[in-house]
Amino acid sequence: MALKGFTRNFKPLEILTEEQVEAIHRGTLEVLWVTGVRVEHERALKLFEKNGCKVDYDEMRVRIPPALVEECIRKAPSSFHAEARDGKKSLMLGDNNFYFGGAPGLQSVDLDTWEPRVATRKENYDSVTVLDALPNVHFLCPYTPYFGFEGVPPCMAMLESQAARIRNSTKCICVGFSNDSEVFAIKMAQALGIEIMGTCATAPPLAMYRDAAESLFRFAEAGFPLRILSGQVMGGTAPATIAGGVITNNAEVITGLVLAQLIRPGMRVLVKDFSHPMNMNTGAPGFGSIVACLHNAASNQIFRKYGVPIDNATCYPNSKMPDYQCGYEKALRVLVAGLSGANLLLLHGSVHGELTYHSVQAILDDDLAGMVGRFMEGIEVNNETLAVDLIEEVGPIPGYFLNKEHTRKWWKLEQFVPKVADSLTYPEWMNTGKKSCLDYAKERMEEILTTHQPIPLTPSQEEDLERILEEARRYYKERGLISEEEMATYRESMKSPNYPYE
Amino acid sequence: MNVEVLENLKKAIIEYDSEGAASWAKKVVQDRIDPTKAIDVMTVAIRQIGDGFSRGELFLPDLVGAADAMSAATPIIEEEIKRVGARRESLGTVVIGTVYGDIHTIGKTMVATLLQADGFVVNDLGINVTAENFVEGIKKYNADILAMSSLMTTTAPEQRKVIETLKKESLRDKVKIMVGGGAITQEFADSIGADGYEPTAVGAMKLAKRLVGK
Repeated sequence: MALKGFTRNFKPLEILTEEQVEAIHRGTLEVLWVTGVRVEHERALKLFEKNGCKVDYDEMRVRIPPALVEECIRKAPSSFHAEARDGKKSLMLGDNNFYFGGAPGLQSVDLDTWEPRVATRKENYDSVTVLDALPNVHFLCPYTPYFGFEGVPPCMAMLESQAARIRNSTKCICVGFSNDSEVFAIKMAQALGIEIMGTCATAPPLAMYRDAAESLFRFAEAGFPLRILSGQVMGGTAPATIAGGVITNNAEVITGLVLAQLIRPGMRVLVKDFSHPMNMNTGAPGFGSIVACLHNAASNQIFRKYGVPIDNATCYPNSKMPDYQCGYEKALRVLVAGLSGANLLLLHGSVHGELTYHSVQAILDDDLAGMVGRFMEGIEVNNETLAVDLIEEVGPIPGYFLNKEHTRKWWKLEQFVPKVADSLTYPEWMNTGKKSCLDYAKERMEEILTTHQPIPLTPSQEEDLERILEEARRYYKERGLISEEEMATYRESMKSPNYPYE
Repeated sequence: MNVEVLENLKKAIIEYDSEGAASWAKKVVQDRIDPTKAIDVMTVAIRQIGDGFSRGELFLPDLVGAADAMSAATPIIEEEIKRVGARRESLGTVVIGTVYGDIHTIGKTMVATLLQADGFVVNDLGINVTAENFVEGIKKYNADILAMSSLMTTTAPEQRKVIETLKKESLRDKVKIMVGGGAITQEFADSIGADGYEPTAVGAMKLAKRLVGK
């Protein structure tokens, strides 16, 4: 049995007409066949060619015929099971299911100044513990919570981050790829007997560089599921128009989908819309933009037509702290993504874009996830919920519903009660120190860290994990990606008696 | 056997079962069980619910459900207490109600339930209670405390009217007066000459004890 998560129990939002959906689909097919995509990977190009694509090896460009695109879309499963370390926490991605995941952050933030700073090893592990404890986190994405932490050389960040997620959480986890890190990531999973989800990030516009294609091959061969994303910025690496942006994003992720189905027919893939308009003052992606919501809604409608599970890992605010702006940016992104049919949403913990992360934010986000999840569940209508007999029994004033058995049963089923929202009356609020949701979230973080114990790995799993990490350290050292000085600092950071936890 | 009847009475209140509470109360009378013992177990039951509410584990529907079950049993037991001439131990007697013109029942019921849980004898006059009805209630039950609620600014002045009426009837010094409800502030309570104000139901328990010197 998969983890329940949430279910969307009503028709999804359709922002495009049928004609518009067809126009975008036709445009995608045309781009894939006429313009084609640059794929910097010879084995991939040969496989494309063997399956009827036009390949220009000098330009490394593949042109995919419409019939093959449509055939591969049909081969991709419309829903699939993604295994977690704890089988009860595995996910059933696709259909009307709706899950939330932790978002990545490059650094931590100071809770007083809100300035960014490098996370410590302890903070990284504690943050995974918090995600493990939060009820509305179902998935841990690559780099979650941090891209790296004190003492770890950059080339080891991905693997150290994965090790932390495996050690301190039994939930479904995803890994990235960088400089062959996925080789060790897959080894770790196989040695521990667990499944991980891989990532293939294409390079917009219309390119898939060598590492991304290699990662795709490796996860396909390991038989693990894969997330395929682009990460385009509209007006920079994609057209400034939403319709044009949907076409380029589509063409990029579908190139990955086609390659996956050619390597391993029926391979479990999750397609993602990770598109933002460019901030034309700064050049940065407009993370919290309402235009990104429109892009999600349109892309999700197309992906639903294709019948492929959908990831909208895009709930990153522009704000630098959990303030009003952060709240509306996150809330709108999550709600629109959910309404339009996303199956997975990376939300928890992102403070500013992908640049900063904090557990306190993840705790606040867990309430937002619960609220939106509750909305997705919709309205139950049956004789008991219609309550006509009860209304007759209670009648006009002085009758009331508060003392009824029906109320005792149903209010808990119907309401979602946020865990850290301020819901007091003025007098209660004034008498208890005028606490805000942020204060409550800080308290809850302390409570989780003192009470929640993630299920540990077995000693032999722990040994395998450390052995593969050590193998990776030697590999990168030999390739010159870790300097002597970095290695000395790294080794020093591993001397704590509480290693690997601090 | 007696223990079983009392346990069932207690259980009926904890399970919000008004019919059960009334029928077990009748069984108490029928079996000639000491009615003060019945009051004791009912107080234990309502205290358990009240404590759960104070800790945030139980909610208003539970509090009101238990209060209803308690109210279904109380008149039957009190009748028996009177009949056998026993004395009921309590922290004091409270007359409580929402003032005339105001039909907001929930906050008042919360306070009534928690005061009962704390060991007061509570006579809930309900909602839309006129000054005359309050006076009558205070006399009838020989109340130590009058507790009044108004949720609306338009009905708050009614509290002043009740106090003025008590003065006319020479009853003002006989009772301690506590006020509350969404429309009431400490300043308002002081201005009408109330003895105490509390913004929350849980706080009202402490206030009531303080007013009777317990």
